Amino acid sequence: MAFVATLFFVSGLVFVVVRVLPGDPALLIIGPEGSPEAAARLREALGLNRPIPLQYVEWLTNALQGDLGVSLQYDLPVGRLIASRLPVTLPLTLMAALFMAATALPVGLYAARRHRRAGDYLAMAVSQIGVAVPGFWAGLLLILLFSVHLGWVQSGGFAGWSTGLWPGVRSLLLPAVALGLFQAAVLVRATRSSVLDVLREDYVRTARAKGVSELSVIGKHTLRNALIPIVTVAGVQLGQLMAGAIILESVFALPGLGRLALGAITARDLPVVQGVTLFVASSIVLINFAVDLLYVVLDPRIRYD
Amino acid sequence: MRHFGSLRPLAALALGLLVSPAAGAAQNLVVQSATEPPGLDLTATPASATAVVVFYNVQESLVKVDRHGKIVPWLAERWHTSDNKNYTFFLKRGVRFHNGRELRAADVKFVIDRAMNPETKHPYPGYYAAIGDIIVKDDYTITFTLKGTTANFLLNMARQGSVVYPREAVDTLKSEPIGTGPYKLAEWVRGDRIVLVKNPDYHVKGLPKLDRVTYRFIPDPNAALAALKAGDIDAAMFGLGPEHVPELQKDPRFQVIIGETTNDVIMSMNNSRKPYSDVRVRRAITHGINKPEVVKGAMFGLGTVLGTNVDPLNPYFVDMSGAMPYDPGKAKKLLAEAGYPNGFEAVLRVAPQYYYTVRTGEVLAAQLQKIGVRIKIEQVEWGQWLSRVWKDAEYELTIIGHAEAWDIANYANPKYYFRYDNADFQKLFTESEITVDHKARRELYVRMQKKLVEDAPVVWLYIHPRLAVTKKGVQGIWQDLPLPAFDLSEVAWAK
Repeated sequence: MAFVATLFFVSGLVFVVVRVLPGDPALLIIGPEGSPEAAARLREALGLNRPIPLQYVEWLTNALQGDLGVSLQYDLPVGRLIASRLPVTLPLTLMAALFMAATALPVGLYAARRHRRAGDYLAMAVSQIGVAVPGFWAGLLLILLFSVHLGWVQSGGFAGWSTGLWPGVRSLLLPAVALGLFQAAVLVRATRSSVLDVLREDYVRTARAKGVSELSVIGKHTLRNALIPIVTVAGVQLGQLMAGAIILESVFALPGLGRLALGAITARDLPVVQGVTLFVASSIVLINFAVDLLYVVLDPRIRYD
Repeated sequence: MRHFGSLRPLAALALGLLVSPAAGAAQNLVVQSATEPPGLDLTATPASATAVVVFYNVQESLVKVDRHGKIVPWLAERWHTSDNKNYTFFLKRGVRFHNGRELRAADVKFVIDRAMNPETKHPYPGYYAAIGDIIVKDDYTITFTLKGTTANFLLNMARQGSVVYPREAVDTLKSEPIGTGPYKLAEWVRGDRIVLVKNPDYHVKGLPKLDRVTYRFIPDPNAALAALKAGDIDAAMFGLGPEHVPELQKDPRFQVIIGETTNDVIMSMNNSRKPYSDVRVRRAITHGINKPEVVKGAMFGLGTVLGTNVDPLNPYFVDMSGAMPYDPGKAKKLLAEAGYPNGFEAVLRVAPQYYYTVRTGEVLAAQLQKIGVRIKIEQVEWGQWLSRVWKDAEYELTIIGHAEAWDIANYANPKYYFRYDNADFQKLFTESEITVDHKARRELYVRMQKKLVEDAPVVWLYIHPRLAVTKKGVQGIWQDLPLPAFDLSEVAWAK
């Protein structure tokens, strides 16, 4: 129910905002050198002169039947456009999330165990750099090193999955690292502080006093209990990864959902803006739902009625 | 391309072979395009991103503006007029559309009729307003009867909105344009690339020279530079800024092509608003600007300083760049006469989508500060600029480049966002439109330019340079762009 209400609210809000903002799709199509009369005729043809509530009801009725409209820019169904961008954005986000988890969890854990020792300070210093470096800049540095100087990977563009799994993964490696860098740095800090909290708990001290092996103390008693706040942060970060993809997809010239959204906003391609926002909002709601379910798995005391 | 350490020299050799294909090898070119076209229908959008791909490469017109700015026969092998009112075009025989059908005079009539029909939402209906009647005499002969003498008729028939396409393909122009051009559209992967392949039946023998052209959409200039250096693209035609030029000129792997365009960068003043409604204020601002310094500061010295609307590629160009020289003393005096001895505050509204607007604005703000005009720069997104500045003239000052060729008509339109309304100028312009004698028309253009300098409705700053960077060995690129087009038919790799 909350899921439907959220989507309904988001769709209504975006619909009104993109129409109230200054900027006319017809003018953007016709451009500054075209004639204002042609722009006026186009506006009429696109149905933009009708009252906004009427336009919304029409859009909603169609959307409920699975029809998100047709892109003003591309002249293609919005649903098809979104679907065509998912093979780039989903693996990109997934790889960035994997990079984030694979680096942040071990480093955070290591830093917590080496609390106030050299390893901890080093991990914190590195993560501070990760937090401070903007994704697009990290992306450009990675391109300079791995594409221009070393020539290991392409500087941008997407090879496509039809050419094989490895060419596809290789096109997404650098953008995934650049995208995941900031979030990984944040997650290192969250993991460290969460693990530190748990390490101070009585039951950890008791476990150690009982002579439980360090591996078991960390794996069974500490990490599992520390995971709830970590999962909460990671869930929020997954949503942020999708937002970050907008910039990184431009830097790496990837035909993903983020670039579709950016181009659509610039061109006031209203049906596409509307469709992409709805899709991203649904994804974030679903991620939150998955995080809620994970809580139950991690902590059996949590129950949803 | 996977290679490590010691394999790198081998890979570099392989790359070298790729960039300079041996005789007989496929000739492919990968070009960066900063913006993805908003559709490929030249009759529905004036976007230069569309023209870059489609105009002259996929679709062509009856006559063409060549690389020197001259109108030459193209799909029409010749034309004839005895009275400058009736133009008869004789079509080239055996020209085939990409769908295999032969081009006929009826196709030409169809596309121009369609351009004239308000229902089709053509962006430039004004270019065809003078056409009275179109008569197909036979399959290869067509006559246009004009309502009156129209000096720019041939030019308008060479423009991007006048391309000829087959009637049966009219519904798919936006995504799969068909024409008679040297290249055919092979695929458009939205968000990623457009691929053109050679048209083997092209009507000009020996052309095109390339087998395949790929336009890759790389919006970020730094990413485009990296792609060029990494060897992932062969050329960047519009995507790099003047700041990249010195570095690339030193690099032996690349050639930098710098030329003229029709893109005049101006600072417009809203002539309907105070204080800009006073010609003394407009002149003061013009005298307060050091244009060569603007070009140096904002464009790394690249760009031709401009004195009026007419660009150096136009046959009626007169160098007026020294007519209103930098003279802060005179500027202050004029401001005092106009009632602003202490200057005034002004808002300069620019759209950072075009990188040069903000940079130029910053240099102008510093210069105008010296004559007491204190400028606040306000950046607005492109969509907002179009609505607020261009459509509603809600602005005081703004900077933008006008890329269209032969656009002096804008100054004769009091509703245009300059809001310049001068009956004398309008009269001169109307006369120039119906004067076909070259000498007499040139005289009118000189008078119009003088009038513009005198009235200073805007400040003409500089011509945005044509900046193209290619790998060494790419030949046949147009140096100047007399129309916003990017003809690749003669481009080839050196053998």
